[in-house]
Amino acid sequence: MDQGHVSDPARGGFGRRRFLRWLLSFSVVSTAGMIVTPVLGFLVPPKTSGSAAGGKVAVAKLADLPTGQATVVALGSKPALVINTDQGIRAYSAICTHLGCIVAWDGGTGTIVCPCHDGRFSPANGSVISGPPPAPLPALATTVEDGEIFLVAG
Amino acid sequence: MRRDVLRGRFTLVRRAVAFVLPSAALVALVLLAVAGSAGSASAQDPTGSPDPSATAGPAAPPVPPAPTPIVHPSDGSSNTCYDCHLAVNDRQKAISETWKNSIHGAGGIGCADCHGGDPTSDQVTVSMSEEAGYIGTPGRERTVGVCGSCHSDPERMRRYNLPTDQYAKYWRSVHGERLATSRDDRVAICIDCHGSHDVKKVADSTSPVYPVNVPRLCASCHADADRMKPYGIPTDQFDVYQGSVHGVALLTNLDVRAPSCASCHGSHDARPPRDTEVVDVCGKCHTATQALYEESRHAELGPASPKCWTCHGTHDVTQPGVRLFFHEADAPYQCTTCHSASDPSVLRIELDRFENEADRRCDTCHHARSTIYSQVEGIAGALSGAQSAYDTAAARITEAARLGMIVTDADVALSEAKTSLIQAQAAVHTTKLTVISGLATEAESKAVGASDMAGAKIDESVFRRGAMVVVVVLILVNVAALYLVKRRLDRQLHG
Amino acid sequence: MTGEAERDGGMTGWLEPRLRLGPVLGAALHVRVPMAARTYYFGGIALFLFAIQVVTGTLLALYYKPTPDAAFESVKFITSDVSFGWLIRSMHHWGANLMILFVVAHLLRVFFQAAYKFPREITWVIGVGLLGLTLAFGFTGYLLPWDQRAYWATVVGTEIAGSVPLVGEPLMLLLRGGMDVTEATLSRFFGIHVLALPLIMAGLVGVHLLLVHQLGLAHPKRPEPRQGDPTPSTPSTRSTPSTPATDERLRPFWPHYLLDELIAWYVLLGILVVLASMFPAGLEEEANALETPAHIKPEWYFLAVYELLKHVPRIVGILLPVVGIGLLTVWPFLDRSPEVLARRRKVAVGGATLVLAAGIGLTIWGYVS
Repeated sequence: MDQGHVSDPARGGFGRRRFLRWLLSFSVVSTAGMIVTPVLGFLVPPKTSGSAAGGKVAVAKLADLPTGQATVVALGSKPALVINTDQGIRAYSAICTHLGCIVAWDGGTGTIVCPCHDGRFSPANGSVISGPPPAPLPALATTVEDGEIFLVAG
Repeated sequence: MRRDVLRGRFTLVRRAVAFVLPSAALVALVLLAVAGSAGSASAQDPTGSPDPSATAGPAAPPVPPAPTPIVHPSDGSSNTCYDCHLAVNDRQKAISETWKNSIHGAGGIGCADCHGGDPTSDQVTVSMSEEAGYIGTPGRERTVGVCGSCHSDPERMRRYNLPTDQYAKYWRSVHGERLATSRDDRVAICIDCHGSHDVKKVADSTSPVYPVNVPRLCASCHADADRMKPYGIPTDQFDVYQGSVHGVALLTNLDVRAPSCASCHGSHDARPPRDTEVVDVCGKCHTATQALYEESRHAELGPASPKCWTCHGTHDVTQPGVRLFFHEADAPYQCTTCHSASDPSVLRIELDRFENEADRRCDTCHHARSTIYSQVEGIAGALSGAQSAYDTAAARITEAARLGMIVTDADVALSEAKTSLIQAQAAVHTTKLTVISGLATEAESKAVGASDMAGAKIDESVFRRGAMVVVVVLILVNVAALYLVKRRLDRQLHG
Repeated sequence: MTGEAERDGGMTGWLEPRLRLGPVLGAALHVRVPMAARTYYFGGIALFLFAIQVVTGTLLALYYKPTPDAAFESVKFITSDVSFGWLIRSMHHWGANLMILFVVAHLLRVFFQAAYKFPREITWVIGVGLLGLTLAFGFTGYLLPWDQRAYWATVVGTEIAGSVPLVGEPLMLLLRGGMDVTEATLSRFFGIHVLALPLIMAGLVGVHLLLVHQLGLAHPKRPEPRQGDPTPSTPSTRSTPSTPATDERLRPFWPHYLLDELIAWYVLLGILVVLASMFPAGLEEEANALETPAHIKPEWYFLAVYELLKHVPRIVGILLPVVGIGLLTVWPFLDRSPEVLARRRKVAVGGATLVLAAGIGLTIWGYVS
């Protein structure tokens, strides 16, 4: 505090009060911002649809999948094998129950084959035909509507 | 004069023909008999123990026809043998009770069916008489016939759905051949493996021939040094097998899909596989690997080519790995590995060269200065590149999971990479660099994709922690502001 | 007073004649609390955490799907795809853990300061009810992600509930919505967690706060004088700042005490954000009724009972906590002595310390075994 300054407690107090006011406003605004930003962000629907979760996911067109052929599709983040068999559309998890490799369709023999150790599964029910897999492939529910093949998620 | 002369000449001719023809026929018959016996004599020539490098099996002796079952009196229900022998002494009682609990006892196959005799009579002189067909304890070779008399009969075995080829197969085995030709009584016959009075179903886990019990059963003779001394064959197979991948699977993990001795050597037709057979023997289970091998250059080379056992061993099969490519230090390079010592133009793989696991390497044959060595290096390099990409991705995913991020998509991508990696590793059997490096590149790119996904999650986690710091700072500012206000208020209150 | 109202900002000036909340708010806020009071703000923090749970829970409910087919995927969706979804979910997860911790801490503070004694017995009983509700929130909410942990912990938990004598069997049936844990259980737990419990909780919290307002904060050093006592009447609603006779110094609830609470809430918010960012709520694999995982353990707040059940007969392990909660509820009616100082309540304080130590010990044991 030098000579030129009028040492007025009121003015000093006023400066402090101003600072405090500013600090409080900043406090309120920042709190509001901290709360509103995640809440609003959360409410905005994300771009990725994720899985339909409980509903149906369209995975292929019936016209693109003639009898005796199959395709591997993504169901959520998990791969699934969809086969058009004589008994209708069948779908199974494409993760081999032996060591987790991704299985494929062998149209020549009409079996699901795992390329890693030649494990084979039946397209009728996913059961093991031959090779090292210890358990059948989990089956997935399918429906066909208007020429579209749907997998029922979950 | 003319008629008489003519008649005289014809008579001479007729007399000559009458003599010559029968004599010639007789001579021919004798010659044929001699030739026939000489031919069958040569067929008796026994073969020695087979050389694993031999290309084809020698001509085998014909299988003796199965004898007919012992004919003995029967009324369909009585078994006085059992009734009496239960009371004779402790040993006979034990035998009788053992039989009763066996599969034969349960099926009504009685004492007389194997030993002969009359099971309807309680008079020893009748029931154990030759007239009743009693043969006592049959000798070793005869025992095979006794078992075979029923077990090779399809009509008899139909109701039990049992195979009937054991008898015929047995005579083709090393055991059977030695029994038939050298009259060796020490070789295994039916009862040594299946038991005599205590025969059980193969599927019975207490049976000595239950798959898990088979290695120990074979080892009961084949690991006995004294017993095997006259034959000069090794006795360490069981010990070695126990530590192998197959042994651990069968004996420790009790996985009955794993091979026992019988799976590769045969059971009734037991014989070590020949060099020409081994790919099919291993390929019975390792189907995909066999298909790959048959595409390779190795498969075209006949006796000069490495087979499954060259690189993977026989009883000591272990998990394959990148160590199979090169020796750690320089490999001693021997011409006799591939060229026969006696005639260098003959090519064959010297199996002894690969007895030590450390020598089962590509560079045992393909030396460092050969043209093909660069191909071996290429294959090894491609696979190690793919493996390290996979390991990096796996580590990154673990790190992301540790930070609390959800990594399901990266996990699935890693599974896809693993599928390609396993296929690339299996493709080594094709020896084709283009095929292997194609699959390895695919595996590597998928692994890099998975690693990138994990990397994105890690970056996100780092960002979140940064944001957390900012928020905490803001909160502290808020707390400071409020604290200042509080201090003012408290001062007003007390001041 | 009217002068003050006129001086108020435009908004307050516009609202006040239309709401006439002035006197109500004044009565609610312009009360005084003892300066000696040491609440450590635990109760207020529990309230703050409840508010956090309501907000984050409501947000989660906008994306969560309460059927077994969809539940897991929807939670995964929230955690990985929705913006800030991980944050809302993790704050809800840690908010739940902290709320239970602070409700218990609040109970302990009240117990050790004998603040449950006259005239606050009813407040205490409602408080025990609030503790039960908080645990019920934890139990029902735990199932909702429908992963292996959630599913099997619920199986074990409802089994234990089913072992309670007499009412066990029907209780388990009611909880599970059937014989086993199925989609019926999930529906039920979701409805309870999201509708029933919040409504009941809000109601009970309201009554609890009302009573706290009515009765004021307890003085930690001397008991509340009863009517007809020689000492002057309770000072909590008096408007003068200090009493000449005793050392009863007061300070205003608004803004002084509430400011302290607000600071505590900010600190809690900071802790919550740190926990949510450093240890985000995870997700195991999806529930599989056919595959029991190797080690099923309940969440930490049930570990003590779980561990106890391993070492004592079933009936003892079930009845001990039930009797314990019952005892806790009626404690103010059992302990009628007017003493509030800890050194004069050695039995109560000693006993509570033992029980607390046993509880902590059992929890740690359950954690490491």
